[in-house]
Amino acid sequence: MDAFGMGLCAAMGALATVAGASEDIDSDIGSQSNPNSQVQLAAQVGNPHRIYNKAIAGEPPSNALWCTTAAIMAYMLIETFHMPALFAIASGAALAALFDGVMSTSAYFGRSASQARFNQWIYLDIVRYTTPSIMAHVWITSFCITTIAYIQVYVLTPHHPFPIPVIALIWGLTVGAIGSSVGDIHYGGEREFQWRLFGQGLNTMLSGQIVRKAEAGLRNSIDNAWFCAKFGGPCTGMGFGLTVFLDNWRTTVFDPVTQAGAAIAMGCIFILIMNLYNFYCETSARRKYGPYPGYKGDIAA
Amino acid sequence: MNFDINTIIYFLEIVVGGLLVGIGVHFVPVGGAPAAMAQATGIGTGTVQLAAGSGLTGLLSAGLMMSVTDNIWAIVATGAVGAMIMMDATMLTGSWIYAYAVGAPFASAKVNYDPITMYSQPPYVAPGTVGQGIPTVCFVSGTIGAAMGGVGGALIYYPLVLINGNPAQSAIFAIGIFFVDAVLASWNIQGTIEGFHDPKFKKWPAAFKACLVATAILGIVAVLITPIVGGA
Repeated sequence: MDAFGMGLCAAMGALATVAGASEDIDSDIGSQSNPNSQVQLAAQVGNPHRIYNKAIAGEPPSNALWCTTAAIMAYMLIETFHMPALFAIASGAALAALFDGVMSTSAYFGRSASQARFNQWIYLDIVRYTTPSIMAHVWITSFCITTIAYIQVYVLTPHHPFPIPVIALIWGLTVGAIGSSVGDIHYGGEREFQWRLFGQGLNTMLSGQIVRKAEAGLRNSIDNAWFCAKFGGPCTGMGFGLTVFLDNWRTTVFDPVTQAGAAIAMGCIFILIMNLYNFYCETSARRKYGPYPGYKGDIAA
Repeated sequence: MNFDINTIIYFLEIVVGGLLVGIGVHFVPVGGAPAAMAQATGIGTGTVQLAAGSGLTGLLSAGLMMSVTDNIWAIVATGAVGAMIMMDATMLTGSWIYAYAVGAPFASAKVNYDPITMYSQPPYVAPGTVGQGIPTVCFVSGTIGAAMGGVGGALIYYPLVLINGNPAQSAIFAIGIFFVDAVLASWNIQGTIEGFHDPKFKKWPAAFKACLVATAILGIVAVLITPIVGGA
């Protein structure tokens, strides 16, 4: 273990936390992934809205695409043109953001136009001021992940044998999977349905009845980003940050050549702690919230 | 390439890895889009995406380990641990949102009592939903599924590197085989499952057969591929 390696490991954890948070907020602004089903349904059940509606792909494949695009450009600039890493990675991220801007815009136009029969309008002001924020978040995500890949390949010892684009592909898939599993719950389970009773999931009967009015005026996707940045985004960042940090920490502290067993045992300890923590969360939620009042079955709580 | 006993061992390792991925997906508690609305138990995303996210994190760890050692047990165990860390971190942070943002107690609608904690489930299932959150049994099941995915990914990657000596090419091929098996398993469970306590879990033999056939075909291609650049 050396101090430099530990510092790099901490930096990677911090970058991953930022990447996770920005990935989730990007998907919340665009209503990508799971909550998109409700945004898509809303107009069909008589609730046309001003929420941005892009679903380019599932979050993991689309983020894998952005991060790989950024990483390929950065890799090419570094290897072929010997550009400074920071400049190369920033350029790659800018290219990824441009790709995302094109696809987001076409996704919004296509999805909204296909719902014209349900009285869903295409709002050009929404396209004008929401698309740049989506692109900005994609820039942050792909910049952070390409930087993580750069550190793993060129700086951190032992150097990773995969090239930068393959690592960016895998981390892009992973950050998308975490954003889709964690942050989406805050947007889909809470923000889209704030008028129902608090403390329960969405009743199937209420599908598509999303909130359309904001704290002032009509709700748009920037309002959703404001809300989800308070908890859903940071939790996603925490999930991805923990994954990157804990996974690299154990092979940095323990030498993978001579202390492989210790590195694996350390990982098992982390896993055990997380299992116990979830058990604590479950027990605490059951104790504090109690059973639902309308339950009429014969199984005791 | 030379065809010898090692080729058959490599082929078998790839097939076993593919089968582990296929069966491991059945353990991962995914509720799909309804789970993201706290409408169903499990993690709110697609089966393949989550299995790929965790299994490929394991592949990254296994790739790093393989660059410094040839010990297959260390490589496979590292892959499993990497995948489990990703899956557990995801489920844990997801649980925070269920518990502290949506404000719902965790409950499964598939069993009356959690087989591990023996907590009663039906009184905690919100009206109009089929459960919410990640109860302990789902969490443990997800951890097992991630371990199997990680071991499977590492077992596919290990022989590929020995065959063609090119980590990048092997990683991409391993990702491809991983996705094929994960998608086959996902069709078998129709997109959602709660874990090993779910009645759908009993359908695993169908996925086993499908993954066996698919991975055998891919395995033959895999042992025949030659390095694009560099290599052994």
